[in-house]
Amino acid sequence: MESFLVRYRNHLVLLTILAAQLIGLGVQVRHSRAGRNSLDPSDSAGVRLIRFWAESMVSPPERLIHGVKSGADNLWTGYLDLRHVRQQNLELEQTIGRLRLEQAALLEDARQGQRLQALLGFQQRYIYATVAAQVFGTSGSDQSRVFYIDKGSDSGLARDMAVVTADGIVGKVRDVFPHNAQVLAINDQTSGAGVLLETTRIRGILKGNVSGQLEVVGVLSDERIKPGEKVVTAGGDLVFPRGLPVGVVSKVASDSDNPAYIDVMVKSSANLDRLDEVLVITSMQPRFSAQEKQDMATSETLDGAQAAAIEQQIQAQQKAAQITAERLPGLTVPNLPPDQQPINDSSPPNPISPQPQSPVHPDEFSPIPGDKVVAGVSDDGAASPAPAAAGKTIAPPGTPPRAENAARNAHATVPPSGRPASTAQAPPAGQTAPGRNP
Amino acid sequence: MSFIGASFRRDIEIHRYPLLVYILVPLAALVAQAWLPRVFGQYAYFDLPLVVTIYFALGRRSPIQGTLMGAALGLFEDALSHLAIGLNGIAKSIAGYLAASVGVRIDVENHTIRVALTFLLSLVSGAIYLFVSRFLLGLEFQWNWLGEIFKAIGNSVIVLLLFPLLDRLQLRD
Repeated sequence: MESFLVRYRNHLVLLTILAAQLIGLGVQVRHSRAGRNSLDPSDSAGVRLIRFWAESMVSPPERLIHGVKSGADNLWTGYLDLRHVRQQNLELEQTIGRLRLEQAALLEDARQGQRLQALLGFQQRYIYATVAAQVFGTSGSDQSRVFYIDKGSDSGLARDMAVVTADGIVGKVRDVFPHNAQVLAINDQTSGAGVLLETTRIRGILKGNVSGQLEVVGVLSDERIKPGEKVVTAGGDLVFPRGLPVGVVSKVASDSDNPAYIDVMVKSSANLDRLDEVLVITSMQPRFSAQEKQDMATSETLDGAQAAAIEQQIQAQQKAAQITAERLPGLTVPNLPPDQQPINDSSPPNPISPQPQSPVHPDEFSPIPGDKVVAGVSDDGAASPAPAAAGKTIAPPGTPPRAENAARNAHATVPPSGRPASTAQAPPAGQTAPGRNP
Repeated sequence: MSFIGASFRRDIEIHRYPLLVYILVPLAALVAQAWLPRVFGQYAYFDLPLVVTIYFALGRRSPIQGTLMGAALGLFEDALSHLAIGLNGIAKSIAGYLAASVGVRIDVENHTIRVALTFLLSLVSGAIYLFVSRFLLGLEFQWNWLGEIFKAIGNSVIVLLLFPLLDRLQLRD
């Protein structure tokens, strides 16, 4: 027996270790009613303890390396490369002041919107509290796309909290330790998030594939889905608030397993491979800080003052219009009632004259088509309104041919008063124009 | 001829290291494996714990030590991931055992053999991982063999740089 153990000790040690690990794996796998095996999403106490030990051993040196790298980066960006920083600081302070007021106004709108939606029975979730954290490590395995952040339960983090950046969503908190937390990235194969295609309003489940790319699965074939369409969170998974950016559609491919479905490949908005700082959404209940409340009060005061100023301005403009109308001559006739005053006349001031018919037998005195007359001359020598709008060379009815020709020749020198220069020699009313009689 | 009898090679070539090397080198491999993907992103095609397992298994020429080293590093890797603890442990246990068993029989000082052995054992480790997770446990997930080949190539390149450095740490008589 002893010789057997000595002879096969290598094999026996290997088998013992493999058997122990297989038993441990069997404990961690669950068999579903659908006949599929899956890993238990919530670790047992023993597994959590092993993970905690491993994390406690690896994370301190990892954080040290990350700290040294960050320190070197900060040394350069914070002390050596400081050109134009003072000017930028002044501009940023001004921008912050403006943005604070705008944010207060938006918070007020959001609060009002929530009240209205509560009245309508909607359950909309908003982001009200976040915790900023730094990414300092990964799992090191491409089968497990998780990363570690430097905030844990001490900072108020809990399981299933959404993790985002300014660009879009990046994952959710999977496991929490006192000072660290493990975040499952959205491009992991086991992750899932409810998403919505912004234009076509088609819903689907966002998952990661083996290459770490994002894809929306469970989407029926639809020709309207095109590359470039934005993808946002749908808000139905109770992890991510609705409307957060996810990415854009990069490719649409048919599902090889089921032709009725398509795989929508998505390019993530956030750079999931190079994450440095993330935000963990710790609360989606309305909680305003004292500063935010003060800003909102200031915003309301400013809004009231602005509305009063606009009202005064409108009143002043109305007064000025009345005074102008009273002072303008001809706009009011004392003998007419107010509703028949010329100022209230909406008819066009210069109606277009009817176009005369062309002569049946034109002669040398007939009007030339295409020639323009700005003003005609009547028998009494007064200028008549110009039929220029008709685009014809027309003399007023009853105009003698010579006067008509004179009018035709005078149209090029019409003074601003509308009276042609040639009408200065026109005979007075009742007299015959020179050359009238042959 | 690099292939020499086992008994002769075993008598003259068992590498010994200070105790700190047995602790710090695997820990450094785990830390680097967890941190370097932040630098290389999706191009982090390497498995430093596997490389270290193969190195110590080849150097010590002890299947038991190779198995234990592989199991420990694999379990650590699993514990840092969100997957079941034991998948990498089993794969690396077998890889360590195989490396030590091969190291008894061939000359492992030759760089070509080291590189070729690391390449093969990387693929074997991936195949065991796939076998255990998909066939023994019945888990459903996608597998990228091209990525595994790239990882085997990356491990082979790292061997060329890392093994000579680690050789300098061994105790000489």
